[in-house]
Amino acid sequence: MALIEINSLHKTYNTTAVPVHAVNNVTLHIEKEEFTAVVGPSGSGKTTLLNMIGGLDQPSEGEIIIDNTNLNKLSTSAKVDFRLHNIGFIFQAYNLIPVFTARENVEFIMLLQKRPKKEREERSNELLKAVGLQDRMHNRPSQLSGGQQQRVAVARALASRPNFVLADEPTANLDSVSAESLLDLMEQLNRTYQTTFIFSTHDDRVIKRARRVVTLRDGKIDYDKQNVQTVSGE
Amino acid sequence: MLTALAWKNIWRNKKRSAIILIAIIFGLWGGLLSGGVMMGMSESMIQTAVNRYLAHIQIHAPDFRKQQDIGLYIDNAEEILTKIRAHDSIESASGRCRLNGMAASPTSTFGVRILGIDPHDEKKVTRIQDKMVRGQYFNSDRRNPIIIGQKLADRLNLKMHSKIVLSFSDLQGNIHYLACRIVGLFNTASSRFDEGTVYVHSADLFRSLGQPLIHEIAVRVKKEDQVSLIRDKLNLQLTGVSVQTWKTLAPELAFISDMMLQFTYLFVAIILFALLFGITNTMLMAVMERIHELGMLISIGMKRFKVFLMILIETVFLSISGGLGGMALGWITLTYFTINGLDLTIIATSLESFGSSTMLYPFLPLHMYLILTIMVLLASTMAALYPAWKAVKIEPAEAVRTEM
Ligand SMILES: Nc1ncnc2c1ncn2[C@@H]1O[C@H](COP(=O)(O)OP(=O)(O)O)[C@@H](O)[C@H]1O
Ligand SMILES: [Mg+2]
Repeated sequence: MALIEINSLHKTYNTTAVPVHAVNNVTLHIEKEEFTAVVGPSGSGKTTLLNMIGGLDQPSEGEIIIDNTNLNKLSTSAKVDFRLHNIGFIFQAYNLIPVFTARENVEFIMLLQKRPKKEREERSNELLKAVGLQDRMHNRPSQLSGGQQQRVAVARALASRPNFVLADEPTANLDSVSAESLLDLMEQLNRTYQTTFIFSTHDDRVIKRARRVVTLRDGKIDYDKQNVQTVSGE
Repeated sequence: MLTALAWKNIWRNKKRSAIILIAIIFGLWGGLLSGGVMMGMSESMIQTAVNRYLAHIQIHAPDFRKQQDIGLYIDNAEEILTKIRAHDSIESASGRCRLNGMAASPTSTFGVRILGIDPHDEKKVTRIQDKMVRGQYFNSDRRNPIIIGQKLADRLNLKMHSKIVLSFSDLQGNIHYLACRIVGLFNTASSRFDEGTVYVHSADLFRSLGQPLIHEIAVRVKKEDQVSLIRDKLNLQLTGVSVQTWKTLAPELAFISDMMLQFTYLFVAIILFALLFGITNTMLMAVMERIHELGMLISIGMKRFKVFLMILIETVFLSISGGLGGMALGWITLTYFTINGLDLTIIATSLESFGSSTMLYPFLPLHMYLILTIMVLLASTMAALYPAWKAVKIEPAEAVRTEM
């Protein structure tokens, strides 16, 4: 059974005059250790889809089963707990607590998980080193560049030992060099820690880097292809 | 870490936090100060009355206070005085012969309360000797010396060393006249007392009356807060007399003192209530500008209860910082004035008519600070409810959308 099973998923927003069918009949299975990009132009439904996979948003129809747990069957507060223990999040912005240092930000999620102090310290050290920020551990987000902040977010996402990491346009606010290196990092972490990544982007360059690319158009899956050849090029 | 986070969050917007902090500090400071002044005023009124005449405890024959009859004297007054003075908790006691009579000058007469006292005893219980404006407190070898209020002297057109004739009836109803010489004039800031009270040696009265009659024993205790306890002890020990504290004798004073305390609480409560809206507003702004961040926290798995708690702790920290600051400032100011006094000479006349002296010593009972801390905690919790509820209601799916 796949890690994530999405079956006939729909999301319709009725808040506007004309209802918006943001996600329209999406069926998608994602296996463990996959590195999947969800791409598509702005407004194609990437955020809506990822928010539903992350249990942040309620589908209008269809179901999402993660590791044998049907998200529809979880209460709001059970979902919070489910997210805490199963999903690592990286957002486009506002990822970090501004008053905490990089390290405190990474530790915080483990604190929410009630992990012991020793483990928190060791793991935040290890992960910040893995994302190349061993020297900036005690800096606050405002003292870090955009790319560095996103790296902290990546470390935070992995710190909770999630089943998979969801990243909604993690590179959208970055210059192309930082964006490239963030993707390098994610890919490398995908290999070293066998962490499953699902990330969205509307950046064409990224498409070549992902091993699986799901293309959305108007809320529907347009393509779903594995481009194995580019991976070997690394 | 949640408390550390809350504490750090307070200082994110330093200016805004500082403004509300200053508002709380000065709000409480003002409340405490005015409360302290009110308490000082009521205490001053009590002390003035106690020192003028009231004393802490008075002992009478059971019906004396109702009828004020010369016949309702205390039978075994000397014995009682000896017993009372043996108590460790009692500072001093004075027996008073209390008669209603007339004071006459060559030009007019006036009804007065004649108090026959032993000056040595009386000046250890009350403090009329400190209120002398002319002459001295029975420090004269003239025959039948008398001290009267300046006001009465004015009314009767009398001066120092003038002769004044007192008339009063004895137990049998015979009228006696006693010609006295004014050896001192007092001014106690109570017009009624100064007009209507004269002091003579009890021995001089006893000579006219033909026998010693003590109607009232005034008692000063060492520790004022034990006055009720001591009254109960005396009541058990002494039979055939009624023992009453100043609170029973002058209920209006006791009432004022209680009222001032209540009023201070009310005053501070109103100030806190007003501040509550300021705090709510500050925290609401703090929540609103952190919607993305709070949404992120809920998204990554922070329970809404914890988010609620965080906002609550932030509010309480902010308020308690201001509260403690305000109380510290209030305490320092009040301590200064408790020691050095607050000179209210400017409004002296109106104060005097209240029976309070012009030098005020504002104070607040210590337990008040504890209750105030609890009040601040309550107010801040109330102030936190709405902003915290707003924080909890954040939809993470909306909040993490960057286009918001
Ligand atoms: N809360 C909402 N109410 C109404 N329409 C929405 C809402 N959120 C998103 N949409 C619409 O849903 C569609 C998909 O949006 P989104 O998932 O954000 O796309 P993407 O992330 O690919 O840019 C868009 O047409 C957008 O306008
Ligand atoms: Mg989007």
